[in-house]
Amino acid sequence: MCGIAGILFKHEVPGLTTGQALIDMLDGCQHRGPDSTGFALYDGAHSGQLKLRFFVGEAEAAQEAIARIRRALDEHDAKIVEEETIGNNYRVIVDFNGNLQKFSYAIEHAAKVISIGSSLEIVKDVGSAAEVDARYEVNKVHGSHGLGHVRLATESDVKPEASHPFWATGFADIAIVHNGQITNYWKMRRRLERRGFEFTTDNDSELIAVYLADKLSQGLPLKDALQTSIEDLDGTFSFLVSTDREIGYAKDRLAAKPMVMYENDDLVAVASEEVSLNKLFPGQALQTREPLPGTFATWSRSI
Amino acid sequence: MVTIDLGAVPVRDANEQIRKHGKAGENVEIVNPDARHHIGVGLTAPIDVHIRGSAGYFCAGLTDQATFTIDNNVGWGLGDNIYSGTVIVGGNAGAIPAVGIRGANIIIKGNMGSRAGQVMKAGTLLCAGNANFMAGYMLYGGRIIILGDSGERVGEDMTGGEIFVGGRVQDLGSDAELTDMSSQEDESIREFLDRFEIPFNGSFQKIVNAGKKLRYGSPERQMRSLPFFTFSGGSSYWNAKVQEDIHIKSQSGRYRIRGYGTARALPHLSDLAFARDLSRSVGTADVISKVQMYTEIGGINGANPLKLSMPVMVAPMSYGALSRSTKHAIGLASAMSDIAENTGEGGMSDAQRNAAKQLIFQCLGGRLGWNIHDMKRADGLEIYISQGAKPGLGGQLMAKKVTQELADIRGIPAGIDLRSPSRHPDILGADDLVIKIEEFREATGYRLPVSVKLGAGRVRDDIKIAVKDGFDFIELDGMQGSTGAGSSEVIDFVGIPTLAAIIEAEEALAEIGRRQDIQIVLMGGMRDGVDAVKGLCLGADAVAFGTSVIIAGGCIACMQCHVGQCVTGIATQDPAHEKRYQPEVEAQNIHRFFESVRWQIAALTHALGYDDVRKLSRNDLVALTPEAAAITGLPYEPAPRKRSAEALAG
Repeated sequence: MCGIAGILFKHEVPGLTTGQALIDMLDGCQHRGPDSTGFALYDGAHSGQLKLRFFVGEAEAAQEAIARIRRALDEHDAKIVEEETIGNNYRVIVDFNGNLQKFSYAIEHAAKVISIGSSLEIVKDVGSAAEVDARYEVNKVHGSHGLGHVRLATESDVKPEASHPFWATGFADIAIVHNGQITNYWKMRRRLERRGFEFTTDNDSELIAVYLADKLSQGLPLKDALQTSIEDLDGTFSFLVSTDREIGYAKDRLAAKPMVMYENDDLVAVASEEVSLNKLFPGQALQTREPLPGTFATWSRSI
Repeated sequence: MVTIDLGAVPVRDANEQIRKHGKAGENVEIVNPDARHHIGVGLTAPIDVHIRGSAGYFCAGLTDQATFTIDNNVGWGLGDNIYSGTVIVGGNAGAIPAVGIRGANIIIKGNMGSRAGQVMKAGTLLCAGNANFMAGYMLYGGRIIILGDSGERVGEDMTGGEIFVGGRVQDLGSDAELTDMSSQEDESIREFLDRFEIPFNGSFQKIVNAGKKLRYGSPERQMRSLPFFTFSGGSSYWNAKVQEDIHIKSQSGRYRIRGYGTARALPHLSDLAFARDLSRSVGTADVISKVQMYTEIGGINGANPLKLSMPVMVAPMSYGALSRSTKHAIGLASAMSDIAENTGEGGMSDAQRNAAKQLIFQCLGGRLGWNIHDMKRADGLEIYISQGAKPGLGGQLMAKKVTQELADIRGIPAGIDLRSPSRHPDILGADDLVIKIEEFREATGYRLPVSVKLGAGRVRDDIKIAVKDGFDFIELDGMQGSTGAGSSEVIDFVGIPTLAAIIEAEEALAEIGRRQDIQIVLMGGMRDGVDAVKGLCLGADAVAFGTSVIIAGGCIACMQCHVGQCVTGIATQDPAHEKRYQPEVEAQNIHRFFESVRWQIAALTHALGYDDVRKLSRNDLVALTPEAAAITGLPYEPAPRKRSAEALAG
């Protein structure tokens, strides 16, 4: 139960970072989810390098977790280039050229992975957009696109790891934010598990992320993966997905969850409510559009 | 014209200013609206409000007589429940525009979102662009005019009203059909278009209810029914009730509908006992003066609380299921005992409002009888999500019970088979609920407590959501609660017993450390003050009585509630039956019952050694059965209790 936001800048817009744009949009719909806030951000990819973020907790527990992570990285020939501890996160950049899926499943046993990608970094924690920004300096992140999410926990706990966005466990650079509920969750999850995929939470949003990542890894374009998701997933949903190049949305056939979009020469912005879009353009009457039920679309800088 | 800048003034303050200008007859202009929610909510004056930009959710909602002009777009729930007035939107509208309106003209120049006109009752909704999914869903009355395309499943489950489509009819909803339209209808539409200067030269197709779904071909065979008390709590394989059910089903070929609650033996409050022997102390004279029972409910977030002379309320029961005279009697009795009454579904009658000193106004998904004027004269507002007897299900009121008076108060055409939906048009999740609660608070100046009625289902999750959404209190209803009509299979086999519900609720609030942020009123099979005290011991802040109130007021449980032929005049809308009911006499009976409850609460609290009902705790209870012990975690102590020195002294 929550509010979602996504933005793609068609080119650099002076004075506005992707991070700040998402903070503003989420601030506009914080009433939809006061428990936690999260961001999927894409910035500064270097070939052959991966960025990893983990929840490590605090004090002694954090030191132990970091030690476990370092050992696991070493075992999998991932060489640490850069590392730091921010809030309850451990962030590390490694040189890595192996099998990402195997690597990430193994790493998951060492500590709670938040995200892995060449450019993706997910920042999420309990608290409001402003509070999470104060802890993790989201406003400083540039990059062409990103997603954001505010969460009201309904069935799972208020924990940082249960908040959104969700990384597609095992697949680099894919993230999702979702408003709604997938009712054939277990059926779809078992289907994917039989094919060897692992899940790190019981959250239906992780399922969407892994489902889409699986389709992408089979060579489907993102928009085709979104199309099949509308047929395969049952329930009420409005979700946004991001890869290292694109963002996209899909909306269920029942139109039970809100979504509004706005596009101009500079950017494409999608949010649960128009009030979030107006946060980017105060005082302006925007020509917005509500996507029809059962539809999807994608945007990237190259188009 | 007064200008209000929403870039500088919060919506809450702006709405107060708008209402003030409304009283003074001064028009208002809103600048920098930036799609904020709840603009203009609760305005009941004939002024013009011009919004220069986009508005968010529930714009112009819960208003009467006003004219709103919005230059750009609006969010969900445009003009929610408007009584009368005009709303003109220059751009697009989000989902459920004109939801539940009781009158008014709503004009949308762009496209409109899904489920437009859901549970709308009267007035006109015009969309100059295209409609989206399920326009006219569960429409009760009024007309929807769509100049563009209809969207999929137009007219889904509509029971009354008309839908006119100027563009393509993409796909008809369930139980909707195309029909011929008269030249008068066409003229009336053209006149409407001219009045609002909307050009259109095409022709229309008309959609109405087909009347093929949810109609009972043959009524149940009339036979002498077994009274509820002869079969409630029974557990044998074959008995007279089983035989009766089989006989009826062998004639009708379908499931049975009946009133009252579950007849199955379930773990209940009677499976608990007090931890100490109270036999010596109960006899103390004048216990009522020795125990503090005054309880305030609903004030924890700053609203005016309900002030109860004891931690007891009347449970919600609808005017519709019950007769006006019965609701009148219950209102009188609640005032005499100085507790709160509840409208239940179906609106507030004057008789009931004037009789009850404190009255909670219940809002259901059909928005039947819901309106701003009665909200303002209520003492509390309640959002009904579900009830313990049939959690998750809606209801149906047979055409026979939908009399002219009842239809007027509910705002629907008389004599229709009335479908009462199981879910709210604008509450599809906890996130929507937050915005809905705020709409109610905005409309009533944050004066009234807003509560949620939850039929016990997924209690642990639901309770956490209720507290996070900021409700002032929860009315938690267990499986032993009753209903005016429900499928007997559901009544007997679906739900969570009251005992389990309160335990799970308390655990859920302890898990998130939020017990102090909400109050719980427990209901579902409360029979006397002993049950009440046990409910309080388990953590409830108050309890509510429903079935016992109507029994006190003359109900003989003859099981004719659902057919409307109640011989006592309680569960009927037939004047011939209702005239047997004497509200003043029955009010006294109900009042005396409540006074017995008061005495029992006082006597037991006193006997347990306390001078205040708030000191009761689960340590005062033990379980008499292994099942009750398993559910509650209380010690299983079926043996007679030892007399404590304290009790002997008392």
